[in-house]
Amino acid sequence: MKTKGHFLARRLNGRYASVWVSVLAILLTIITAGILLLIMGKNPFTAFYCFLQGCGLAPKTNYGGGSGMLSDLTDFLNYLAPMMLASLAFIVGFKAGLFNIGIAGQMLISGFAATVLVGYNKSIPAPAAKILVLLVGIAVGGLTGALVGFLKYKFNIHEVVSTIMINYIISYITGFFINNNYVDMLTRTSRVCSPESRLTLTGVVIGGVNCKVPIGIAIAVVMAFVVQFIFDRTCFGFELKAVGLNRKCARYIGVSVGRRIVMSMAFSGILAGLAGVTYYLGYTNTIIPKTLVSMGYDSISVALLGNSSPVGSIFAAIIVTIFQQGANYMSSMVGVAKEIASLITGILLLYASCGTYMKMMARGALQKELDRADDAKRAAFMAEEGGEEK
Amino acid sequence: MTKVFTDGLSFAMPLLIMAVGAIYSEKSGVTNLAIEGFQGFGAFIGALLAVLLMNVMGEGSQAVIYLAMLGAAVGGGVYACLHALLCIKFRANQVISGVVVNILAVALTTFFTSAANTAINKTLSNKLILGVSKRFTVPVLSKIPAVGGFFTNMYPFELIIIVLVIFFWYLMYRTRFGMMLRACGENPQAVDAAGGDVEKTRWIAVIISGALSGIGGICFAYSLLANFSPSIYLGYGYLAIAAMIFGNWNINTTALVCLIFGLAKSGGYQLCIAMKLPSNYSDLFLMLPYVLTMLLLIFFSKKNHPPKAAGEPWDKGKR
Repeated sequence: MKTKGHFLARRLNGRYASVWVSVLAILLTIITAGILLLIMGKNPFTAFYCFLQGCGLAPKTNYGGGSGMLSDLTDFLNYLAPMMLASLAFIVGFKAGLFNIGIAGQMLISGFAATVLVGYNKSIPAPAAKILVLLVGIAVGGLTGALVGFLKYKFNIHEVVSTIMINYIISYITGFFINNNYVDMLTRTSRVCSPESRLTLTGVVIGGVNCKVPIGIAIAVVMAFVVQFIFDRTCFGFELKAVGLNRKCARYIGVSVGRRIVMSMAFSGILAGLAGVTYYLGYTNTIIPKTLVSMGYDSISVALLGNSSPVGSIFAAIIVTIFQQGANYMSSMVGVAKEIASLITGILLLYASCGTYMKMMARGALQKELDRADDAKRAAFMAEEGGEEK
Repeated sequence: MTKVFTDGLSFAMPLLIMAVGAIYSEKSGVTNLAIEGFQGFGAFIGALLAVLLMNVMGEGSQAVIYLAMLGAAVGGGVYACLHALLCIKFRANQVISGVVVNILAVALTTFFTSAANTAINKTLSNKLILGVSKRFTVPVLSKIPAVGGFFTNMYPFELIIIVLVIFFWYLMYRTRFGMMLRACGENPQAVDAAGGDVEKTRWIAVIISGALSGIGGICFAYSLLANFSPSIYLGYGYLAIAAMIFGNWNINTTALVCLIFGLAKSGGYQLCIAMKLPSNYSDLFLMLPYVLTMLLLIFFSKKNHPPKAAGEPWDKGKR
């Protein structure tokens, strides 16, 4: 036990401390969720394996006609793409000290705008339509984000409150227009958009199984590295980080803080907009009126778990998406309500947010260890000194 | 017209009790964005208690409501310990902690509502059906034109909330404890130097905040929705926070703001009915409180004076 504690303490103080915090958070979550499943009388190992099976990361026992492990995997990637983009959106705001919890709303408004402007326009050919969808997503998301930044900078409105209010406003407005103009009478959701504009290629046959190939995943991975590059290598990224770490100091070194706040929210909104179009014109292809996706909050878990590092969030997104996407299959196989996915994500977030405390504890433990070693050395030294004198 | 006042008050009162909770937490120096989660979790515990009690005491019993309120207060208070633990003991970022607490509350209550329904009622539903609280009309006051609407068809909880708010107003502005609590939010070092216990005061404040939010939540569940379901997370917790900011962290002004919010909501709804618009348009009117909040915040946020130490973890060694 002592050696194990020592091992952890050293890891949590080392160079890769943040990675170890995330790993620890995941382990603790799996243990907690496992205990929860045990209490409910289910076998946790089966349940976790079912999560993997539902995502196409492990083979299921039997498949329906025309589908296979690869089709599950592409479904998984379809969901992963907006998740990664949404968490990048959160990270960009967070690095500048802004808490963008309006990602769900920004996703909805840009998805809605792209659906109405491009998705229902049957005359645009495929490559142009897809590019237009992306541009509309970028423009609308960016503007919505910039508005939040502007309110913060100009009127000192806390971004958490304003984004929540804007979330509800967007949700009601788009719900109103969908119900009035664009509703599909049968499904009560918005009408599906044209396949030319959809960011997911449907009906692609790979190895004999039907797959939905997401274009968004490529965009998401590229964006992760772009964001990483901006923060590591550019002046703009450095200024954003400076604003996030210490606003007064940033102003002192000559950063125009207000403008950076607006820009970082706009950037965050752009990424949320991309997430929105890959979700509503890729993963679902339709919009349920007056519903904000849970992804807006899940992306916060992803970002915190990935220690708000863009590349780290790729891995964190995979972990969270496994739970979210595998929940349906797990629910049908094991018989646990599929809401457990959100619960697991919540627990994950809880542990991830304790990172500072974990590091603090580890530092304390290591310090104690060092002190003890010091004491021992001193005692040995004293004993030696005493021996010589005699 | 009277309906506007009646509904306005029944919406404003739960909002007010949540806002008072938020004020308690923030005045003690703990930023509290977790009101939404507190009210949801409190309402869940209250609703669960009510459903269990209804099986024992019969459907129509009104005593259930009061016990449910008590349960909600306890539930909210216990759940608030999580926020207190993260913010005060673990020194996590208080904004993150607030959001974490909210997300966890939604997940926990949604999951356990389904689980409880399967266990108690043997049905697959995500709602806990509650009774509807009886209403009463104050005899003389309700006869006053227009304003009499405040006193017609009142819910009993409105009275309870008024009493509670007066009590907590007194506690904050007229007692030694309240003085210390407010000092914790402005200059915790001074409190420590004077021999006060900053951490303990903040713990108490956050727990009070959770208990009051829980009461607000169960009132929403009982009056507006008549059930507990995940749809209780309508952002009213955030509205309460907005009311607090707009009310400049002062209970008196916040009470006024809550009343304005309530009247805006009920007024918009009655307007929609009066104009005989199709039901689709009600969405636009439901949006009104949120739009109003944004506008009010734009005009009033700038000259606000938030508690100075709110958002900073208390560090004894820091000067």
